[in-house]
Amino acid sequence: MAKEIATFIVNGQGYEVIVEPHMLLIDVLRDSIGLVGTKYGCGAGDCGACTVLLEGKPVFACLTLAVTARDRSLTTIEGLADGAGLHPIQQAFVDAGAVQCGFCTPGMVLTTKALLDENPEPTRGEIKAFLAGNLCRCTGYVKIVEAVESAAGILRNGGAR
Amino acid sequence: MTNEPHSEFSSVGKSLARPDVAAKATGAARFSADIALPGMLIGRILTSPHAHARIVAIDTSRAKALPGVAAVITHADVPKRGFTRSVMAEGLPPFAYETENLDQYILSDKARYIGDWVAAVAAVDLYVAERALDLIEVEYEVLPAVFDPEDALAPGAPVVHKGWKDNVAGVIEHPFNRGDLDAALASSAHVAEFSGRNSRQKQAHMEPDAAIASWDDKGRLTVWSPSQNAHLAKKAMGRRVFDIGEGNVRWITPAVGGGFGARLSFGVEPVAAMLAKVTGRPVKVLVTREEDFNGWNSRTEQRQTIRVGVGEAGEITAIEQDVLSDSGAYFSHSGTISAVNMQSTLGVMRSPVVRGKALMVYTNNPTASGMRGYGNPEGSFILQQALDIAAEKCGMDPVDFRLKNARGPGEPSMWEPQAITTCALPECIRRGAVAIGWDQKWHGWGAGKEGRYRRGVGMSIMTHASGAGGFLLEHSTAVMKLDEDGTASLSVSPCEMGQGILGVLAQIAAEGAGLRYEDVRTVTGDTDVTLFDIGTHASRSTYAIGNAALDAARKVKAIVVERAARMLGVESEGLDVRDGRVFAVADSSVGVSVAEVAHAGIYEYGTDARHIMATGKHQSVMHCPNFQAGFAEIEVDVETGVIKVLKLVIAHDIGRAINPLTVEGCLEGGAAQGLGYALTEDLVIDKGTGKVVSDSFATYKMLSALDMPEVEVILVEEPDPTGPFGAKGVGETGITNVAPAIANALYDAAGVRVHSLPITPEKVLEALRAHGAGA
Ligand code: FES
Ligand code: FES
Repeated sequence: MAKEIATFIVNGQGYEVIVEPHMLLIDVLRDSIGLVGTKYGCGAGDCGACTVLLEGKPVFACLTLAVTARDRSLTTIEGLADGAGLHPIQQAFVDAGAVQCGFCTPGMVLTTKALLDENPEPTRGEIKAFLAGNLCRCTGYVKIVEAVESAAGILRNGGAR
Repeated sequence: MTNEPHSEFSSVGKSLARPDVAAKATGAARFSADIALPGMLIGRILTSPHAHARIVAIDTSRAKALPGVAAVITHADVPKRGFTRSVMAEGLPPFAYETENLDQYILSDKARYIGDWVAAVAAVDLYVAERALDLIEVEYEVLPAVFDPEDALAPGAPVVHKGWKDNVAGVIEHPFNRGDLDAALASSAHVAEFSGRNSRQKQAHMEPDAAIASWDDKGRLTVWSPSQNAHLAKKAMGRRVFDIGEGNVRWITPAVGGGFGARLSFGVEPVAAMLAKVTGRPVKVLVTREEDFNGWNSRTEQRQTIRVGVGEAGEITAIEQDVLSDSGAYFSHSGTISAVNMQSTLGVMRSPVVRGKALMVYTNNPTASGMRGYGNPEGSFILQQALDIAAEKCGMDPVDFRLKNARGPGEPSMWEPQAITTCALPECIRRGAVAIGWDQKWHGWGAGKEGRYRRGVGMSIMTHASGAGGFLLEHSTAVMKLDEDGTASLSVSPCEMGQGILGVLAQIAAEGAGLRYEDVRTVTGDTDVTLFDIGTHASRSTYAIGNAALDAARKVKAIVVERAARMLGVESEGLDVRDGRVFAVADSSVGVSVAEVAHAGIYEYGTDARHIMATGKHQSVMHCPNFQAGFAEIEVDVETGVIKVLKLVIAHDIGRAINPLTVEGCLEGGAAQGLGYALTEDLVIDKGTGKVVSDSFATYKMLSALDMPEVEVILVEEPDPTGPFGAKGVGETGITNVAPAIANALYDAAGVRVHSLPITPEKVLEALRAHGAGA
């Protein structure tokens, strides 16, 4: 098992990490870099809790071999907001009551970011379809869908509410 | 106190943002698995591939030799002390605790289900721990196994627990049985009967179990884990698992990623504690999703028959409930879940004659436990269909039949002989019926629907406790103290697992003390800081802990008023406190801020210094039942058997919604779980091997955003004089009415009933074929 030093660019910051070929991105993020906002929910690509953005596209960190993500731009939940405040999507989730236990929330928020980057004015059906890979056990999705709708409106408005 | 209009409140009744959610949206919240302590090891558990096997020998030498492995433990290394996984059981009165079977060990010398724990390792990281598990060599003597509770009762069946003569884990007679059942049924105009079973629904909290344990140099244990009742877990760990005393255990509850009843049981904490003890280092034990599915928590499968006798005028004359419960391999919540099933199921309708009986049976299936609703969704699926059958026999509308026979104020509650204080059930039924369009859509019994796609409506009602009073130990204590700047800490011990209780308690305390909501911090999650509390279950936290918080807040307010009066040189009678300011009711320009009063109390250079604080308490033998009506409209495709749910309506008797947004979210989330329970969720166990087949989210089908129909939540507010600002419980309830309402809607649409959950297309088609009305 060849160990090597790889560079990961997470939220605009470079990190050098000793990796082995079989190591998963979720473990590198959580254990090597210490960014634990990315959650393990299933380890099988079934729940979306581990969603991070790889060059802007959502990927399951639990299925991604760490070495395939090196030198590429990664966004985790910790990197979404600019500065200390909340990103408009995060604020919309808070305001709509879309966060209950919060375990699915990092993945939901980042998946929403990917959706709205690609489709700023999604229909309710498009929202539900895009979020279908992210499970939430608490909310029944009602308020999550509302939060995404409201975030879309706010972002179209240049971030103002 | 309880009937003020909302406008008189500053915090109560408002959808204020919860204090914990921003950190959850930014990833800053710390769940148990997110915590790392200096020197911490990672623990993993080796599970049995056999459903029933004696462990002949375990060779751990190769695993121990792997670099980075600190310890490998087996049954030979753990205390020979039996306990029950149900830490909630610590709240039972002694006579009831005696009927709990203490059949669980940290690690056992016999595997009783596929997934049972055989050995555990602690290593420097997860990858090394995983490799070490592969190197443990176990020699098993495979034993015959039994997977069906009825088979397990047959003579000669394999016996799951050593030293037992059979697999009967327990028998419970409903404590409120009364009357002559046979005579009552014989003289009834009609008898309705329905039999069926529920599925083993998984709690499936999105956060998998994880626990950290660490011992200090004096032999004191600290545990970090997602427990719903940390003080009872602390007791169970200190007194049952180890013999070290409660004072030698500190329990810290980090952010909790959902509970739904699973966390009323020990997860991996005992193994973490054992590994930490052996290694002398902190150990974090992690669990995979697959292990969780193969593990020690699910709704209990119960096979039931309910008979309802009805008189000429449509009045219920007798109800009988018979429950056969599959405990799985260990006792866990078997007894309490069966008892609560009968209380809630037999406690909603008025009946002069009642008989209930439950039999709990061991099998080699994974250990079952209690899930949200805790017996109520199990019993309601059967009872509410029996009630519809009874209504049909009487030719009555299901709405009218329930209005006529449901218990109301002054009548015994689900835990007799306590009386129901308030009951908005009739209003819930009426408003729910309007919301679903009952009068337009329900066309009478046997309204012969035609065509491939057939629509139908159905309903269900329920009662649930707001607390465990009368059944379990029931008390909570809150401590509220004012800091120099007029902000307050409220120390209480609920489990914040997503329901929003931290905000709700802050709203109650702020209102009670006259402070601003944002100035009250709810402090929880550490048994060294909070006072004893039975924790979060039985839909009790808003009601019971809320009452304790309100008591503390009112006492704080009284102290503030008294000291402010002296500062202002006025009589205290004419003063009130609101939004952080003490003022004269007659002239609001006369006043002083709470901050000044609090500061002056601490920085008092004479002899009257006081850090303003108070403790508040709730203790009750009453459980303030709440009520709910649920309605469903569905469309069934009689060629494929697929049920499409068009709309769900949940009308809940909330007393007072302290935070309407969180109550709605709670009911919507409950409804989603209820929909999964009704149509898709099933822990499928292979009948030949005992292996859980549906052990991933790919095979265990929970609803996604795409699958959710419209859910309309109606909050009916009729304040209860015993609740904080009139509030009653809600936490578990959203789940209960959904499956029976859908089942009754299926009958309305297609004239068939399915007797087991989930109601899959195959079962619908089979029922249609049997009925002769299929495609
Ligand atoms: S943890 Fe990666 S999809 Fe579930
Ligand atoms: S908020 Fe708990 S899983 Fe989504």
